[in-house]
Amino acid sequence: MFSQYFGHYLLNHELITREQLADVLEYQKSVHVKFGVIAVDEDFMTPSQVEEVHEKQKQVDKRFGEIAIELGYLSDDQVEVLISKQKQKHLFLAQALVDRGYMTIEQFSQALNQYKKENSLSDDQFEELKSGSIEALVENLLVDDHKSIYGKYVTLFAKNVIRFIDDQVHLEVSNAEVVQQDKWLVHQEILGESPLFTAITANEEVFLHIASKHAEEELTEVDELAKASVSEFLNLTNGIYLVNMSNWGVELNMKPQAISENAKVSGELTCIKVHTSFGSFQLLLSNQPNNISIVSSGSELLV
Amino acid sequence: MENNLRVLICDDSILIRKKLRETLEMFGCKEILEAENGNVAVEVVKASNPDLILMDIVMPDKDGIEALKEIKELQPNAKVVMASSVGTNDLLKSAIKNGAYDFIQKPISHDAVQNILTKVLKEGSVNV
Repeated sequence: MFSQYFGHYLLNHELITREQLADVLEYQKSVHVKFGVIAVDEDFMTPSQVEEVHEKQKQVDKRFGEIAIELGYLSDDQVEVLISKQKQKHLFLAQALVDRGYMTIEQFSQALNQYKKENSLSDDQFEELKSGSIEALVENLLVDDHKSIYGKYVTLFAKNVIRFIDDQVHLEVSNAEVVQQDKWLVHQEILGESPLFTAITANEEVFLHIASKHAEEELTEVDELAKASVSEFLNLTNGIYLVNMSNWGVELNMKPQAISENAKVSGELTCIKVHTSFGSFQLLLSNQPNNISIVSSGSELLV
Repeated sequence: MENNLRVLICDDSILIRKKLRETLEMFGCKEILEAENGNVAVEVVKASNPDLILMDIVMPDKDGIEALKEIKELQPNAKVVMASSVGTNDLLKSAIKNGAYDFIQKPISHDAVQNILTKVLKEGSVNV
């Protein structure tokens, strides 16, 4: 998941284009992360030393690690570390960017350090982020006031989107004053000492994608089955949230989920844009469900 | 695993009913009945007295716990398995107190269904 975040960071800082980002996110799936990229990431080698080893590899049929040890750039222990790190996902993005010629290893490394600085991350926090910890990503995403209220929910939601819907997920808190109105709205209210209004809004195309992924079958129109599928995804997430909260000593209940077409939601809402490989949808949350109103087909429903 | 079980699925989600029906058919259940809420489930139990009931908890009109209470009053031997995404301590206690036969956490796996069917068949009250 860090690849999506850092990829968008690179895009927002105009270090790569939208097309390049889409290309590398697709390409990274097939990428095998090379030792040189990890060696620089771990500060074991400089980019120029990596280049030197790559040049040598053109001459002799030896592994990167073997040559680097011969040249005195890496120790045996460091090679062991690199082997264990080779599967870290954030590096797939680096490798993909380098392979496609969009960035050099040095530029990637600089951008990564800049990201760390801009987000005031400690070494430990940064390591956690890079290893793909969703908790760390959500912690980094929400403003202080919202961390304690929504942190656990957003973390679980992100994990469930990855598990059931799409593994290329990027979350973004929307600062827009007015919530973007989508055609479809699925909502469910959690009741108890920590009440929560939860909703997913999506346009028809994305709604059908979510429905199809969750139902594990191709759904081509928003019929009862498609509506049930997206509703059940929210219901399932909320059910697990209630279990988690119960394990932490907070007993909550929830109302049945409901679905509306062309409805307008208003109230004290936090809106999180969920970008996936097939399009974006919104997660709406509020810890004041009583103040949320949903206006649907001319009639106003207070949740 | 052909069997003579008559199973009622009670869930407000058409998707869950469809998926559960497919699973129960795969395991060879003889008859599968459906109800979209607790009220309908109680009526089906009165009319057909199924061997096993898979009951959602959070549903509109009449929730699963209320339906469980009514069904156990009507048929004290009814085997009602609560199937829900909400497995909180409070709900589990309430389900057990009201005589639930078992609990399955959603999303419902084939294994979970198979285990329940095996347990019901083992108890021998139903012809295999």
